[in-house]
Amino acid sequence: MNDFVTVFQAELVRRIRSRAFLVGLVIGVFAIALMFQLPQFLIRATSQTRALVVIGAPAVAQPAAALLRNEYSVRAVLPPQTPDAALLAAHKAGEAVVVTAQPAHLAVTLYAKDPADAHVTAMRRALAPLQLQLATHLSNARAQAVLNIPIAVRSVSTKFSTTADAQAAHGIAYTLLFFLYILILVNSQIVMSSVAEEKTSRIAELLVAAVDPIALLVGKICAAATLALLQLAVWIVTAAFIGNAAFGAPGGSTGAAAGAAQPFALNALLSGAVISPWVIVAFVLFLILGFFQLSTLFAALTSLINRTEDLGSVTVPLVLPVVFAFIAAITALETPDAGWVIGLSFVPVLSPFIMFARIAVSAVPIWQIALSLAIDVVALALIAVVAGKLYRVGMLLYGRTPNLRQVWSIVRS
Amino acid sequence: MLVVDRLHKGFGAVVAVDEVSFEVPAGSTFGLIGPNGAGKTTTMRSILGIYAPDSGTITWKGAAVHAKTRRHFGYLPEERGLYGKMKVREQIVYFGKLHGLPEAECQRRTTHWLARLEIAQYAERPCSELSKGNQQKVQIACAAVHEPELLVLDEPFSGLDPVNAEMLIGILSELKHAGTTLVLSSHNMWQMEDLCDRFCIVAGGRNRAGGTLRELRAAWPTRVIRVAPPTDSVRGVLSALDGARALPPVDGVLEFDVPASTPFADVLARLVAGEKITRFEAVEPSLHDIYLHTVEGI
Repeated sequence: MNDFVTVFQAELVRRIRSRAFLVGLVIGVFAIALMFQLPQFLIRATSQTRALVVIGAPAVAQPAAALLRNEYSVRAVLPPQTPDAALLAAHKAGEAVVVTAQPAHLAVTLYAKDPADAHVTAMRRALAPLQLQLATHLSNARAQAVLNIPIAVRSVSTKFSTTADAQAAHGIAYTLLFFLYILILVNSQIVMSSVAEEKTSRIAELLVAAVDPIALLVGKICAAATLALLQLAVWIVTAAFIGNAAFGAPGGSTGAAAGAAQPFALNALLSGAVISPWVIVAFVLFLILGFFQLSTLFAALTSLINRTEDLGSVTVPLVLPVVFAFIAAITALETPDAGWVIGLSFVPVLSPFIMFARIAVSAVPIWQIALSLAIDVVALALIAVVAGKLYRVGMLLYGRTPNLRQVWSIVRS
Repeated sequence: MLVVDRLHKGFGAVVAVDEVSFEVPAGSTFGLIGPNGAGKTTTMRSILGIYAPDSGTITWKGAAVHAKTRRHFGYLPEERGLYGKMKVREQIVYFGKLHGLPEAECQRRTTHWLARLEIAQYAERPCSELSKGNQQKVQIACAAVHEPELLVLDEPFSGLDPVNAEMLIGILSELKHAGTTLVLSSHNMWQMEDLCDRFCIVAGGRNRAGGTLRELRAAWPTRVIRVAPPTDSVRGVLSALDGARALPPVDGVLEFDVPASTPFADVLARLVAGEKITRFEAVEPSLHDIYLHTVEGI
C-alpha cells in the first residue's frame, strides 16, 4: 500500500507540473469558451447571407416582407425592379425576392448571390399565408391562423416529458460524449508516455527493484485517473462560469436558435433540470471503467517497446477501437434502440461510450446497464491480469520487440 | 548473510543461471565476476526479487527474501536511467520514499549524499541537464539513500572517469565500514581485487570458482618465477625444475611458469650458489590471471 501511495503521489505531482497537462487544461478551457461563443459567432457570420431585399408593389411586398421577417432579416422593401449584384451589395443582402400578386396566387422570383444557398423551402413556408390569402380571399390574420396547425407532442418514452427536454438531453449527451472521449484518450496516452519514459530511459529496472511492478502500474494509472477527474472538474467549473456569463442563469435561454442548442444543453446539465443525476453517475462510472481498461492496455503494450519511435505501433491498434466507439456512440444518440447499438453496448472498451450514449437519451432497462457494467468490470479484471504479466516482463525486456507468439507465451506463463 | 543456493533461472529455451551457489557474509564485499552473458545480472536481479527463480533458494539473514526484506536492499543496475525532467533532489527523495523512508529523513539523507557526491550545486536542476558522470552519481545516491543493508551494484565503475571511480571506491569503503553488505560485478579485476573479500566466478550460467582471493590462489596450480639476470646458468636451474615452462622474458627478466608446490627457498638457494642474483620473485596469481584461466579453461 505504501508503494502505491508513494508512486501515486509522485506521479500526480509530476503530471500536474508537466507542461502537457497544463497545456491540455488551458486548451480545454479555451475549447469550452469557444463552444459557447462559436454558435453566436456563426449566427452573426451567417446573418448577411440570410439578409433579404423584398421587391414588388407595396400592396403585396409589404405583407410579404412582414411574413418573411419570421425567417429572414429584411433589409429593404423596394418598388418593382430587376435586382442585380450591385443592389444586393448596396443593401448588404444575400438574396432579393420579387413578389407579384396574380389573380389566384402569388408569383415569386428569388435572386440569390449563391443560388445553391437559396432557402426555397423556408421561403415557401414563410409566404404560405399570403398565397392562401390570395387564393381564398381570407384576411391576413385568418390565413395565418388557418395555416398554424396546432401540434401537441406527447412523449411515449419514460425518459423525457417534453421535446425541449429531449433536445436538451441530446445536446448534453453530445457534450458528455466529447468529454468522455477526450478524457479517456488523452489520459490513457499520458499513462502510455509515462511507461515509455521509464522504459526507454532505462529507469524501470531501478524502480522495479524498489517497488512491486504492479504497485507501480496501479499507482501510475490511478494518478492519471485522478488527473482526468481533476480536468473534468476544471472544465465543468469553466463551463458553468462561461455559460452563466454568456447566457445568464440556467434556464434563461430559450435555445430557439439551432446554434445555441449546445450552450443551452450545458446550462441545463449544470442546473440538473433535464438530466437525471444517474446519467452523471453513469458518466463517471463509464469514464473510470473506460479509462482503466484503455490505460492498462496502453501501459502493458508500451512496456514491450524499446524506442519511443515504436509508440505508433502500440497507439494505432488501441486508438482505432476508441475512435470507432465514439463515432458509434454519436450515431447511437439518434438510434439508441437499434439492435447493433444494443449489442455493442455490451462489448468492453466500446461499451463505456455506447452504453453511456444510450443511457443519456433513452430509457435503458436497469438489467442491461448492470450487465454492461458487470462485463466491463470482469473485462477490466482480465485486462489487469494479462497487462500485469506483460508489464512485469516487458519493463525489463530490451532488444527486439517480442512477436505475438512471445507475447502469448508471456500471457500464458 | 546472503545465501544463494542452487539458483536456476531460464528464459524459454535459454538457461541464464544454472545451479549457481554462493554465500556472502554480512558486512563483507562480494565480487560476482564473469564474462558477458555469464548470468551475473540475472543472478543479481533474482537476489533483488526482480526475477523469481525457477528453482533454488535465496535467503537473507536466514530467511527467504520477500518484499519487506527487499526494502532494505539497494540496487545500481548496469543499464542506468533517471527521470530526465525530474530535479536531482526530487529524484533521490523519491527513491528514498520508495524504500519506505519518511519525507524528512529522505530530505536529510539526500542533502548528505548530494554533498558527499559533490553534486549539491545541481540539486535543483533537472537530471537531463547533468553530465553523464554526474548522472551516475545521482544514480548511486538513489541506490544508497536508504542506507541499505545489502547493496547490489552491477558494473558500478563503467562510464566513470578515474577521479569519480576513486570517489566511488571511497564511498563503497565507507558503506562497508558502516556495515553494508556489498555485492558487485565489474570487468575491472584490479578494482575488484582491491575491493572484494570474496569472489564467485561464473561463466555459462554456472559456478566456476569461488572463495577468498587467498583460497582462489591456493587452488591455482602454478606460480610464475621472475629471476634476473637472465644468464644461461639461471636459465639452466629454472629449466631443470619439475613441470617448469619458460615464458617470454620481459625487460631482461626471466619468467618461468612452475608448479605451485615448487620449493621456492631451495630454488633460490641453488640460484644464489651459481650466480649473483639481483631479482627473485615468486609471483602470486592475480584475480585477473585466475579469472582468465578459469573462463578460458571452460
